[in-house]
Amino acid sequence: MTMARRSLKDRLIESEELFRDTGVYESELTVKESDPVTFEVLFTRLLQTLTNAREVALSISASPSTREQGEIIFGLFTAEGDAVCLSTGLMIHVHTMSRAIKWMINNDYETKMGFREGDYFFNNDSFIGGGHPSDQMLMTPFFVDGELEGWIGGLTHVTETGAVEPGAMGSSFTSRFAEGLILPCMRIAADDELFYDFDVLVDRGVRSSISWLADNRAKLTGNLIIREKVKELLGEVGLDMYRKVCREYIEDTRRATHEKVRRSLFPGRYREVAWRGVTIKNLERLMHSPCELVVSREGRLSLSFEGLPSAQRQPFQATLPLFEGMLFNGLIQNIFYDLRYNDGTFLAIDLHVPYGSACNPDNIQLPTTLWGPAYGGMQACAQAVSRAYFAKGYREEVHASGPLTSGNLAGGKDQYGRHFGSQCFEFASSGMYATSFMDGLDTAFSDFNAEGDMGDAEIWEQQMPQVWLAREIRKDGGGFGKFRGGNGIHSLYMIPEGIEMEIGAFGSPPIFSTAGLMGGYPAAALRVWIGRGTDVQAQIEAGTPLPNTEGFDRSVPEFVDQVSAEWSCVLGQNVPTSSLEPYSLFSVVSGDGGGYGDPLLRAPIDIIRDVENGLSGVRVAADVYGVVVTKDARGNVGYDKEATDSLRAQHRRERLHRGVPAAEYKRIQRERVMAGDIPAPARAMYRDVMEISPIWADEFRTFWNLPEGFEVAE
Amino acid sequence: MTMSNQNSDDAKLNSIRELIEGILPLDQLATLQREMKTGDRVQIVLAIEQDRVPWSDRILVPLQENLYVVERDDGARVVKCFCGHEFGDYRLNWKEEALVFERHPQDGIVFQPNKGADPVWQLLREFYCPNCATQLDVEPVPVGYPFVFNFLPDLEF
Ligand SMILES: [Zn+2]
Repeated sequence: MTMARRSLKDRLIESEELFRDTGVYESELTVKESDPVTFEVLFTRLLQTLTNAREVALSISASPSTREQGEIIFGLFTAEGDAVCLSTGLMIHVHTMSRAIKWMINNDYETKMGFREGDYFFNNDSFIGGGHPSDQMLMTPFFVDGELEGWIGGLTHVTETGAVEPGAMGSSFTSRFAEGLILPCMRIAADDELFYDFDVLVDRGVRSSISWLADNRAKLTGNLIIREKVKELLGEVGLDMYRKVCREYIEDTRRATHEKVRRSLFPGRYREVAWRGVTIKNLERLMHSPCELVVSREGRLSLSFEGLPSAQRQPFQATLPLFEGMLFNGLIQNIFYDLRYNDGTFLAIDLHVPYGSACNPDNIQLPTTLWGPAYGGMQACAQAVSRAYFAKGYREEVHASGPLTSGNLAGGKDQYGRHFGSQCFEFASSGMYATSFMDGLDTAFSDFNAEGDMGDAEIWEQQMPQVWLAREIRKDGGGFGKFRGGNGIHSLYMIPEGIEMEIGAFGSPPIFSTAGLMGGYPAAALRVWIGRGTDVQAQIEAGTPLPNTEGFDRSVPEFVDQVSAEWSCVLGQNVPTSSLEPYSLFSVVSGDGGGYGDPLLRAPIDIIRDVENGLSGVRVAADVYGVVVTKDARGNVGYDKEATDSLRAQHRRERLHRGVPAAEYKRIQRERVMAGDIPAPARAMYRDVMEISPIWADEFRTFWNLPEGFEVAE
Repeated sequence: MTMSNQNSDDAKLNSIRELIEGILPLDQLATLQREMKTGDRVQIVLAIEQDRVPWSDRILVPLQENLYVVERDDGARVVKCFCGHEFGDYRLNWKEEALVFERHPQDGIVFQPNKGADPVWQLLREFYCPNCATQLDVEPVPVGYPFVFNFLPDLEF
């Protein structure tokens, strides 16, 4: 007897309807309840399989961002595309591969393309799934007795996509067509063999194909290892058991998510705002990322981003799959780190992201390269969660904003005459946020990949031949506070002789993009320094010490004073790529963490440590922290307790003197708002947001007590 | 309760007190971080905080560093600073009762010109307690941005 096989599309619709109608993914956890040991052992075996495959794939890949930075993740999915289990790694993509599998199912790939074991589907279209064209996934279905039983997917971040600017993440893009090769769910392998013509396509379509092609092989190998192991396990436990536990793992996580929220977070409404913006020709505007987090007493967690600016022809925005990915990445690291990572968490959370906004564009021809307020939304959400932990007493979980990771791009012809194009992922070791109990770690953190590493400069130099004259801990980069944010990396690159190089960078507009928490200052603004026509060649020939540091507490970095050149500085670090002559210098920073608490409450011993380590100076100690640092004849650093007490008292008196009562402040500011006396970048944002979000517009008018229907002047 | 339980309870209480004061050694911090979150921490922290503050109004919830929502004898629920200063009803943003200072983002005091925002884009809005002058919040915002109302606790239970 045979039954007509149900299509995947029908199964997906049924699964989604069931969840919508019942609010649960699987009604009974019978395996978990009747045989908890098997339940846990099977999950551990799946997790181990995925994590082992990741390790193998890491060593196959030739791309530094995968191999050195660990920018790779694998996942196991149900036939309908729900994530059951994920390896460690790039946590942003917990849900983005689910999105792509469901997209194929919904778009009739089963009937129009057919799914067979040994097929691999490639996707880097971030409206379907993934983050930007750099985020590239490879998905393969597996079958038991002719029935598609699940999917395996691997994702890496590739550093060159054939975009208008080398290195994929250019800050000048005004259309999606600037982003390079975008391939929506294409079959690129059958019978576990990659198609030759796909390699040709990539080879001719990008500046340097090594990272893309090597990563494809790494992902295919990882997927293959996982497929065989999962089928082995499936053979042991039987198909019914396998299907049942997969559903139970997701449901179990969904329930555990509510429970974790209920036990960890104080119920209430939390609001935080992060900042980004656009700096491209003819479009300069601020963008806020307003996060409202509501924790219910029952453990429901709702997130709303009502008030996001509109999507525009600019790259500082993101697709919805990416924004979901960013948020869940943050939530998993901050709250759900001890649960199973899968789509159960996604099902447990309510998320509102207005359609047509910069984190959910209504037009797939817009660029979504650099994420802008989506990255900010994750920072804001983490601060909101920190407040909820604080109120519940879990101070060990409280922290300020993580760094905006930022870095440089380059392309051209290297010393061997080979074309290259890449972005430098040393920013995976940015400065960590300050917590409620300690300073943020220096050069040790990025929100998107907790296992990230900066990679050897020498390995980077093989891929992008800029020569590192300096790679140092940035001084006074982390936000000041009772506990300071971690400092990021400062790198000073020299363009060597005998190559052709275009170089640029990406970051933010000239703003503070990483906020502090509860009285702490934001992290320092990012910046690029570019030196053209330098005398570095003469310095090398003369054998004098080369510039190698920013120095501390300087309005202009030390290396700028040490090198005669035509210097320019771009605050915020958005610099479209352009050609630089040999011996030009290019200095970037990787982002620093936000500060925590009032700086006047910082323990003097922590300040002394920073001064001793050359990370901060005596002037900052006095002006920001009110600590009077002393040095004895032998150079030992200490502080004068009495002078410090009196300086701190003086700082407090000055605050009371210069501070204006809020009511008075508001009265004066209201006049400015009424008159439209607001600088252009913010004025453009207010006008835009008030037009697309009546809710936000009402709040704005209420706060400033403005007449009904008030509009900010053009 | 056995003696050793009593000792470990005391040790834990002490750890949490040190955590709140920012002086907990890191090895003990890791122990707390690994601990299962059971939801009962809130009671422990409330007891420690009540003990730390120099006033006797009952704390309902610690709102953030230095600020608490307390219930006064007359039943009013207000935001109160560690120093004793009251900011008013907890359902309203305490920032409306603070001192405000707009700092130039490149004033050379807190941020050097090549480390601060362009003042056309953003400035630093600092909020101080009108009594003890503690810096309670810093908002990096453009001109005209409404005060952010960070936390409205759900206390109606
Ligand atoms: Zn006070």
